[in-house]
Amino acid sequence: MTPVTEQADHEFLDAARRALRAPAAASAADTAGAADPLDALGWWDLLPELADRDARAAALALFRAQGRELSTSAALGALMAQPFLAATGLSPGSLVAAIGRRSARRGEVLVVVGDVTEAALLIDRPGRGAAVLGRSEVELQPVAIAGQLAVHEVRADLSTWSPTVEEKQAEPARARGRFLGRLALALEMLGAAEGALALAVAHAAAREQFGRPIGSFQAVRHLLAWAQTDCVALESVVATAVRLDAATPPGHDEVVKALAGRNGRRICERALQVLGAIGFTREHSHHHFHSRVLALDSLLGTSTELTHALGARIRETHTDPAVRAAVLLPNPEP
Amino acid sequence: MLRITASGQDDPFRNDAWRYAEAFEAWLVSRPPALEAAARPVASYEKRVAVTSELMGVLSGEGWARYGWPAEVGGLGGDILHRAVMWEALARHGLPAMALFEHLEILAPTLVAMGDRDFVAQVLPRFLRGEERWSQGFSEPEAGSDLASARTRAIAVDGAHVITGRKIWTSWASYATWCLVLARTGTAESRHRGLTAFAVDLRAPGVEVRPIEQANGTDELAEVTFDQVAVGPDRIVGELNGGWRVAMHILAHERATFGWFRHSFLHRQVLDTIAHGSPVGDTLLGDALLDLAAVRATSHEALRAHAAGTTLGPRAAFVKLLLAASEQSVNDWVLASDPDLAVGLQDDHVAVCRQEYLFSRIVTVYGGSQQMQLDTIAKQILRLP
Repeated sequence: MTPVTEQADHEFLDAARRALRAPAAASAADTAGAADPLDALGWWDLLPELADRDARAAALALFRAQGRELSTSAALGALMAQPFLAATGLSPGSLVAAIGRRSARRGEVLVVVGDVTEAALLIDRPGRGAAVLGRSEVELQPVAIAGQLAVHEVRADLSTWSPTVEEKQAEPARARGRFLGRLALALEMLGAAEGALALAVAHAAAREQFGRPIGSFQAVRHLLAWAQTDCVALESVVATAVRLDAATPPGHDEVVKALAGRNGRRICERALQVLGAIGFTREHSHHHFHSRVLALDSLLGTSTELTHALGARIRETHTDPAVRAAVLLPNPEP
Repeated sequence: MLRITASGQDDPFRNDAWRYAEAFEAWLVSRPPALEAAARPVASYEKRVAVTSELMGVLSGEGWARYGWPAEVGGLGGDILHRAVMWEALARHGLPAMALFEHLEILAPTLVAMGDRDFVAQVLPRFLRGEERWSQGFSEPEAGSDLASARTRAIAVDGAHVITGRKIWTSWASYATWCLVLARTGTAESRHRGLTAFAVDLRAPGVEVRPIEQANGTDELAEVTFDQVAVGPDRIVGELNGGWRVAMHILAHERATFGWFRHSFLHRQVLDTIAHGSPVGDTLLGDALLDLAAVRATSHEALRAHAAGTTLGPRAAFVKLLLAASEQSVNDWVLASDPDLAVGLQDDHVAVCRQEYLFSRIVTVYGGSQQMQLDTIAKQILRLP
């Protein structure tokens, strides 16, 4: 809904989408390749300015564009590493955070998203500080999933752990990195879900059965209207969180991320039902959008984990997790 | 509480909802007795209206409830954000529901925008003080989702109108003194072009209000019949034959900004039930809280649009759908946490939980059914064929 997603944000979103599309077009014409779209966008210059509302909104809009365009970059890890730069002395883009997740089969594993050949990796271990490892100290194993998403598992010998950033300093940086990372993931899931829904809406208008477009049947219309409602809800919640940043209540990044995973999956499922069997083929793009939502939902807490934990926390603390009304007012005082 | 005169030039709150919020919060923390009386579950709707009317009297007397309304009609200025702050804070401090005063946020903005200035200046202050109460007469036995087929007639006689017909599912009519009635002033075939909105005094001769006992044990709804009820020209809201615009203005509030007010009390319901929560319901609770976050963000956009002098238009349908979904998911969790509402002894708290749970099963019907909202989105937003 446009009132919250300000005009400037839309302009940056459009610019980001154009930039992300450009290298594909350029490399088709010119095998020498094209400039990194993040460089072209000036994205790295935004990273040190995240305390500024407009810079933050612009930096995070990249992720929605990535979801929409099914493009991939190391921006997520770079964003999460940003709060560690001061303590490590590294510059934006030269450090990318690996993300821990729990495998039911193999226990704790580390993953990185995007091309990290140029960067050092930040390995963050809650309770034990964070370490910077050079590329030669780790081994990357590609994970073969759909979604046009470059994901690697990180193999590193952590038996001789020597933190670059002590736990005391790492703790607030970690919280900030996760907050930003969850908002970024929510926006990328929103973009991917919007991509899947756009395909389904176009299909409903074009595909004819019983002599009329299937989008004229109320059952189909209602499926798509629900999916659009889920998109609007997610857009509004994440845009509000981006705007308010630190004024959001504790744990609000988990609310945003949980909503993104839940709604994102629901949108893709409804879109798939409207697309029918063609949407379940390898040649159709739906599975890329869908698989990207599934992959991103699995990072920094799945929607299932986060939703359950939110309920448990509120039951135990008897608190209300809502964003305070007063901070939603225009120009609130701190 | 500082008493502010309507002409006070240096009113610190009129243009500053943030300062208003802080001062109102401080007043609530002092636990005023009128709030204490209203901040407990009351199963009887008659008593609930009575304690909430008392509270409105105090809130108006102290000035708080007059913010957000123009000075020309008895308010103290400011905009809808003041009202949003007031009701959210009341809910947070224990008020369980707006009761009939939800019509302050559904009907009153339209009365102020489109009603006769002198008439509204008389009746709005009484509504704000809880002395008089309003209801909305739209649906008829043969006109539900298809509102343009309403048949209640208003015939012009000697500069006035005489209204005859029947309205049904009229919320809170048994407890109201006024009803905003949509009546046909055009030909029988004129559909939405031949409707006019009239403010009708429910105490006038020829009006009969028959409460409808509901499945949840309350009588919030009623059937209202009008038998040659005369109304003067100052009781026309909007233009003659401009009733459709009035109805759409009201529904724009009922579907969008009202989400803010209603969902604030769903948060209250969560907090009032949390002591009964068990780990079994944690995922349901988490889901409900996600739904509430969506209503909060989208309805806040509606508030901001309204404060800026616009509306969400067809996008109001999103807020309406999200509000209904959140009301159902909150009550799914309430049922899981407190099965007494289904089978236990009914003290006031259990009885209210039961009322709310059962009501939540039908919130997808009022104010335009869920199917109508989905149709609006499919047609006007997705532009499907």
